[in-house]
Amino acid sequence: MTSQEKLCSFEEKISPHLKSAYNLARWLTHSHEDAEDVVQEAFLRAFSAFEQFRGEQGKAWLLAIVRNTALTLLKRKYNSTDTVCLEESVADPIEPSPGPEESLLISCNREHVRQALRQLPSDFREAVILREMEGLSYKEIATTMGVPLGTVMSRLSRGRDWLTRILSNTNAPSVKEEPV
Amino acid sequence: MNCNDSRIYLAAYFDDELDVGQSLGVHQHLAGCPDCRQLQREQVVLRSALRDSALYAHPSAEFSKRIEAVVRRAARSEARPRTSWIGWFRFDSFRWSWAVAALVAIATIGAFLIINGLRPSHQQIISTAVLESHIRSLQPGHLIDVPSSDRHTVKPWFQGKLDFSPPVPDLSELGWTLLGGRLDYVDGRPVAALVYQRRKHDINVFLWPSHNSTLYDNVTQENAQGYQILHWNGAETTYWVVSDLNNAELLDFARALRGH
Repeated sequence: MTSQEKLCSFEEKISPHLKSAYNLARWLTHSHEDAEDVVQEAFLRAFSAFEQFRGEQGKAWLLAIVRNTALTLLKRKYNSTDTVCLEESVADPIEPSPGPEESLLISCNREHVRQALRQLPSDFREAVILREMEGLSYKEIATTMGVPLGTVMSRLSRGRDWLTRILSNTNAPSVKEEPV
Repeated sequence: MNCNDSRIYLAAYFDDELDVGQSLGVHQHLAGCPDCRQLQREQVVLRSALRDSALYAHPSAEFSKRIEAVVRRAARSEARPRTSWIGWFRFDSFRWSWAVAALVAIATIGAFLIINGLRPSHQQIISTAVLESHIRSLQPGHLIDVPSSDRHTVKPWFQGKLDFSPPVPDLSELGWTLLGGRLDYVDGRPVAALVYQRRKHDINVFLWPSHNSTLYDNVTQENAQGYQILHWNGAETTYWVVSDLNNAELLDFARALRGH
């Protein structure tokens, strides 16, 4: 593959996913500047590793690089231990299955949803974003996050339950205390 | 399928990621379970809330252009061969070992060439020896052991004195007078020396068997201390000719000798 062919192929298969790359980076870093840095670095990494791209799941392939780049940046910048205590922090999200009356209160207020999503631990947030915003299949999410299918399934399920719970309890102090 | 099973599968059911059997199980359970149906409705609401396009973070057009430029620049720098000197001199590079190896090789070859250049070649040693021998032969009483212009006297004289029989051509018709022959010692072996003359100029022809050449090769010429020295390898015989005759005439002589 000549460098010109490589560039053409890259611009055809990878570049169109820039929007998704930015969205994911933004939701992972919560910062416009960090998201742009992450995406730029991820694109450079993707381009230099493009020979290893097998031609399928271009979006998932790129997003996996974005994800790793973002996690590296977060670790470096904030020495983030976020990912370590995830599992514990959402240990039992399903437990109180909300009754019909309660769940009618689920808030579709955009800012509430944004806040809820931001509060969601990052592995779960990531799965939800990849599924709901990017429309990836479970298999693609597994590729992106580098986890088995079963983990994708459980993260999505628990992440949604967690969101549902928060949104149907918008008066709960934990949400209100969170700075916007 | 009970509620617990159903809830495990509900998300995947909702995402259409179940196989037909599982999907059917959840479907049937939902039909008969209002609680789980309620959960499913929540998921629908949550989904529409999450798919609110205002939650989606869009990159700016400017940023998109920047990324395109960054990628193209990377493509260009990849296309360019990396001959940067800075890259070359980076110490982690294993090219250093090649550089050192090359340097050692060059030094070795250079030293070899210098030593060989300083040391006189075998050819030069013989050239010096025949010249000295020629000069010595010109001292009174040294020139000839067997004085005769008759080749049939000179040639047999060498018998028993040499381990070969030297050719002794008669070149008198061409104007080269044979004065006689002499035993000499060159290159660590006894050799035949034939003495010819033209206009009082003595010509010494040193000859001995050559081992490495059967073909006539070119005549090499040398000028030292006012003497001309010619050398060639004849068929089975090595010739060295020394004289104070001028170069053109001596070459004539060499031609006559070779043509004989």
